[in-house]
Amino acid sequence: MSDFSELESELKKLRPAKPSGELIARVESALENAGEIAHKVVAPERFRINWFGLGLGLAAAATFLIFVRVDFRPTDKTKQTLASVTPSSQQRAAELPNYQATGLTQVVYSKRDEGLVFSPGTDAPARRVRTARRETLQWRDLRTGARLAVSYPTEETRLIPVSGQ
Amino acid sequence: MENVGTHEDWKVCFSELAPGLVLFARQWVKSAADAEDVVQEAFVRFWRRNLSINNRALLYSAVRSAALDLIRRDNRRARREVEVFGEAERTVQPQFEQVDDSQRELVAALDHLPRDQREVLVMKIWNEFTFAEIGEALAISQNTAASRYRYALAALKKTFQPQ
Repeated sequence: MSDFSELESELKKLRPAKPSGELIARVESALENAGEIAHKVVAPERFRINWFGLGLGLAAAATFLIFVRVDFRPTDKTKQTLASVTPSSQQRAAELPNYQATGLTQVVYSKRDEGLVFSPGTDAPARRVRTARRETLQWRDLRTGARLAVSYPTEETRLIPVSGQ
Repeated sequence: MENVGTHEDWKVCFSELAPGLVLFARQWVKSAADAEDVVQEAFVRFWRRNLSINNRALLYSAVRSAALDLIRRDNRRARREVEVFGEAERTVQPQFEQVDDSQRELVAALDHLPRDQREVLVMKIWNEFTFAEIGEALAISQNTAASRYRYALAALKKTFQPQ
C-alpha cells in the first residue's frame, strides 16, 4: 500500500472540525437527567415489559442488597474509613514473569454522595461516598512485544467522618 | 509503571473522541446538528452502561446504530436520506478545519466515494482504527475492511493528485 502513502498523508492533514461547544453541555445534561427522565416519561412505542430483563434486574437487585447487608454489619470493617472496595487485579500483575506493566487507565463513571449514615458500633455520623470506576491495566511482554490488557469495573464506598460542630 | 493516565472526568474522554465521532456520524445523517444528536445519544447510552472507553469499536458501532435509529424514527427523514443515497451516494459533506484549495478538492473527491468505502476511510484515517477494529464495528471481515480502504484510496487517487 506504499503507493498510497502520499495520499494518506494528505488525508491526515485534514482535521475533523470540532463539534459545537453546546454538544458537551447537552451530553452533560443528558447524563445527569437520563435517569429521572427514564421513569418520568413513558414512551408508548418502547413501553413493553421485558420479563427476562425484569427478572434479571430483580436478581441483580437482590444480589446487591445481600452485599450491602454484608458490608454494613457491625464488624470491625465498618470502623474503617474505606467501607468497601472491589478487589483489584493489580496484584496479579506481579504473577506474570515476562510481562511489564505499561499503563493504567481509571475512568470514573459516577461519584455519588449518599448522605449521612450511622455505622453500627460508632457514635459519630459519617458521610457515605460511592464511586464507580472502570480500570484498564496493560502489560507488555518484553521479549515478544505481545500486549495484554484487562478491563474491569470497580466500586468503592468511603465513609468520611463528619464533625458535629 | 510508566505512562499512567487517569481520566477523572467523562469530559476529557468525550472531548478527545467527539470530533471523530461527529465526522463518523455524518456518514449517515446530512446535517451537523443531526450528527451531534446521534453522537450525544450514542455516547450517553454507552457511558451509562459503564462500558470500557477502550472498546472503540463498540462505541462507533453504537454511533452507527443510533444514526440508523434516527433515520428509521423519522419517516420523512428516512425518505429524504434514501432519495439522496439513491441518487448519488454523496450524502456527506465532511467538515474539516481550515481547508485550503488543494484540500477542498480532496474533500470533494471524498464526497464522491461510495458510503461503505468512505466509512472505512473515516475510521482508518481520522480515528486510527485497525482493520480488525473496523471489521468489528461494521460487522464485516478484516479483509473486507482492508479491501474497501484500498478501493477508496484508489478512487481518490484517480481524481486527486497530491501537489
